[in-house]
Amino acid sequence: MAFKRDKKEEEEGTGNPFQNLDKTAVLQEARTFNDTPVNPKKCTHILTKILYLINQGEQLGTQEATDAFFAMTKLFQSKDVILRRMVYLGIKELSNIAEDVIIVTSSLTKDMTGKEDLYRAAAIRALCSITDTTMIQAIERYMKQAIVDRNAAVSSAAVVSIFHMTKHSPDLVKRWVNEVQEALNSENVMVQYHALGLLYHIRKSDQLAVTKLVAKLTKMNMKSPYAVCMLIRIVCKLIEDQNSASAGDTSPPWSSSPLFEFLESCLRHKSETVVYEAAHAIVNLRRTSARELAPAVSVLQLFCSSPKPVLRFAAVRTLNKVAISHPSAVIACNLDLENMISDSNRSIATLAITTLLKTGSESSVDRLMKQIATFVSEISDEFKIVVVEAIRSLCLKFPRKHAVLMNFLSAMLRDEGGLEYKASIADTIITIIEENPEAKETGLAHLCEFIEDCEHTSLAVRILHLLGKEGPRAKQPSKYIRFIYNRVILENATVRAAAVTAMAQFGALCPQLLDNVQVLLARCQMDSDDEVRDRATYYHSILASQNKQLVQEYIIEPLTVSIPSLERALHTYNVHPSPTPFDMSSIPLATVVTSDVTEMADRLSGRTPNSIGTGTIETSPAVTRVESYYEKLSAALPEIASLPGALFKSSTPVMLTESETEYVVRCIKHSFPNHLILQLESDQYIERSAAGKCYRSIRDPRRLRATQGDPHSKVGLQ
Amino acid sequence: MKLFGKLANILGIKKKEVKVLILGLNNSGKSTLVNHLKSEEDKVQTIIPTVGLNIEKFKYHNVQFTAFDMSGHGKYRDLWEHYYRECEGIIFVIDSSDTLRIAVVRDELDTLLQHPDIVTRKIPILFFANKMDLRDSLSTFKIVSILGLERIDDKPWHICASNALTGDGLQEGSEWITQAICELLK
Repeated sequence: MAFKRDKKEEEEGTGNPFQNLDKTAVLQEARTFNDTPVNPKKCTHILTKILYLINQGEQLGTQEATDAFFAMTKLFQSKDVILRRMVYLGIKELSNIAEDVIIVTSSLTKDMTGKEDLYRAAAIRALCSITDTTMIQAIERYMKQAIVDRNAAVSSAAVVSIFHMTKHSPDLVKRWVNEVQEALNSENVMVQYHALGLLYHIRKSDQLAVTKLVAKLTKMNMKSPYAVCMLIRIVCKLIEDQNSASAGDTSPPWSSSPLFEFLESCLRHKSETVVYEAAHAIVNLRRTSARELAPAVSVLQLFCSSPKPVLRFAAVRTLNKVAISHPSAVIACNLDLENMISDSNRSIATLAITTLLKTGSESSVDRLMKQIATFVSEISDEFKIVVVEAIRSLCLKFPRKHAVLMNFLSAMLRDEGGLEYKASIADTIITIIEENPEAKETGLAHLCEFIEDCEHTSLAVRILHLLGKEGPRAKQPSKYIRFIYNRVILENATVRAAAVTAMAQFGALCPQLLDNVQVLLARCQMDSDDEVRDRATYYHSILASQNKQLVQEYIIEPLTVSIPSLERALHTYNVHPSPTPFDMSSIPLATVVTSDVTEMADRLSGRTPNSIGTGTIETSPAVTRVESYYEKLSAALPEIASLPGALFKSSTPVMLTESETEYVVRCIKHSFPNHLILQLESDQYIERSAAGKCYRSIRDPRRLRATQGDPHSKVGLQ
Repeated sequence: MKLFGKLANILGIKKKEVKVLILGLNNSGKSTLVNHLKSEEDKVQTIIPTVGLNIEKFKYHNVQFTAFDMSGHGKYRDLWEHYYRECEGIIFVIDSSDTLRIAVVRDELDTLLQHPDIVTRKIPILFFANKMDLRDSLSTFKIVSILGLERIDDKPWHICASNALTGDGLQEGSEWITQAICELLK
């Protein structure tokens, strides 16, 4: 005990010296910056404190930050290198908060063009953080010089800083394209990589320019492996784009294209990073045939026996992904994978085993499962999920093995683990139950046992729902009632409510249990929670009515309408009450959940959309947002609001013009039972000029009856 | 320590450090002037408009000067006041050939003299009537009367004509401000 306390004290002693900093006190200390002569040591320490505070999330007011900033500018008189570099960091941190930060522009340009190399790169970074679009001319000349500077650090700093500046002023960098192009020819690996990143970023919206860039660079034989990796990613994106443009062709059009040849040639690059990147890229391309995969897989196979754990890990991880989409291609590596089962690195071993599970035959399943069981408790949740995924696909492949696998899963379910891990196990069991009727009883039994001690409300609710759905059809429904009613006694309100619903299902479907269920439901009416009481009363009275049709409609069959639409419709009904009762049939039916299936298919095929490191990932707008387009539209145009029938679906906006032109036109389709509304939206970006007349011409190949009346051309001026 | 400091001061062996502010409208020759005062190896060839400020150091007669060379551009003049409090001397540079904007100079000077950090202090101000070589430049007398420098009775001030390109007149001015500051520090 005494020893423990000593240890604790010791820890406190050597703990964080900045722990109890007070913002006001530190800012007070910052006045030291004004002293003459400057004390570099002391000022460096105070600056560290300020930076620490900001990085801990402390909010500085504009005035406070400005005061600190101006005090800091006085430190430029010191020649101390450490202090000066701290000042650069301070400038970067405060540049967003303080006002008039351009005060240091000249001081920084002096440093970035000065003789002291230690200052130059850092000064560029600080300079770019204080420069906004209006100030860009003041530094343009210096930036041009810096991009092509002989010092690699300076050149890199300039290119990367420009990259960051494109966020707030995307157009300005186009003036520096020539210099960046020159930097691309740099001898330095980093400069070349950064220059390529920036060039691609500038041009990525223009496919023709990207194609040209790639065509030039693939012939150039770049020195930097990082740049080559980047180029590989760009090439992949290009191949995918061309692919989707020419979708429908039976033979992959790119297999003999120069782009693919480039990828293949990268497999023979002298840098391992590049080789891996190329292999990874090839196996992740859509619509690859075995012939194109073979060289990539054999490279990965070579990596499997590498002495470097990193390479082994990378190879096996990639093979694991490929195993789902192209199991036959991976079978060649089975021998190497077998060797890796006993790898001292657990992550590699796990991936090797799960890969084998995916490609292996039925006979090897038992052996592999035994192997995996020896170390499953030692690996992290993330890899446990990989194991679970593998078992899931195994179950689908070899239904007869479900007993072994189910036992294994239930053992895993009892282990410690996070929600995601538990959810993936429960998912797997549910999938097995749905796919394999033989496994149903044991699966349900395992799940019942699991919810006895389940700390995740969302999982418990899901399992209760499943019990309600599947339990009544089991051979002996009564045994599930006990598990469900235990939840009513022991769990929180959400789970209790779900349990009540599950019990009602038993009451509705098993006439022999009806009386017992009614007794339990009557008890639930005494619950402390409103929702639970409401549900219990609701089900109790429906079941008591003995009306078959009521029971069928309100208990057994779930709600079939789209929930978000229903919510919105009810909201409008509440806001504008009308004498007619609410019409349920006006709500669009929920599309049967197919997204899960496609999502699973995506996951099974192991393909993730290619995103280039520097590119932004576009997210499609959420459904509610699209539907709100319609709401806006119907609010503006009453005749649309009065169309008969309910909105079935609104499409996401489709761009009809290239982005980055002077005007853009979007189209949103709203589908109705008897109508199709095309909502055309146009924005134009030419300042101080409004588009005078807009003409629409819609060619309609199928001669749908056009009921659209007068044009509602509305040109937004931005 | 204090005694030692005083002793050193009297004997004139202590190295003194003073901060001076260089003010004036844009294109009046502030950075050029500072450039001329710097030691040979620090000099730069081309002078470009300052954005914000430059901090330069130079030595004159055993006194280490730290010059805050402020930008004279209209929109940055508001930033001068951040540096008033710590400075020990002000060098105000006037483009004596720019008769049109002399009124602006007067305005800026009045604002400076009324600033709370300046008004109560006995801070020496040196005026350089720069660009004296140009043909239609104003004489120092004219500038004194236009700017109303006679009104300044609580601060030591001095005006001298100068040419920052060749360095004419800088000697006289620097001599004066060094003495004036040393006078005050004693």
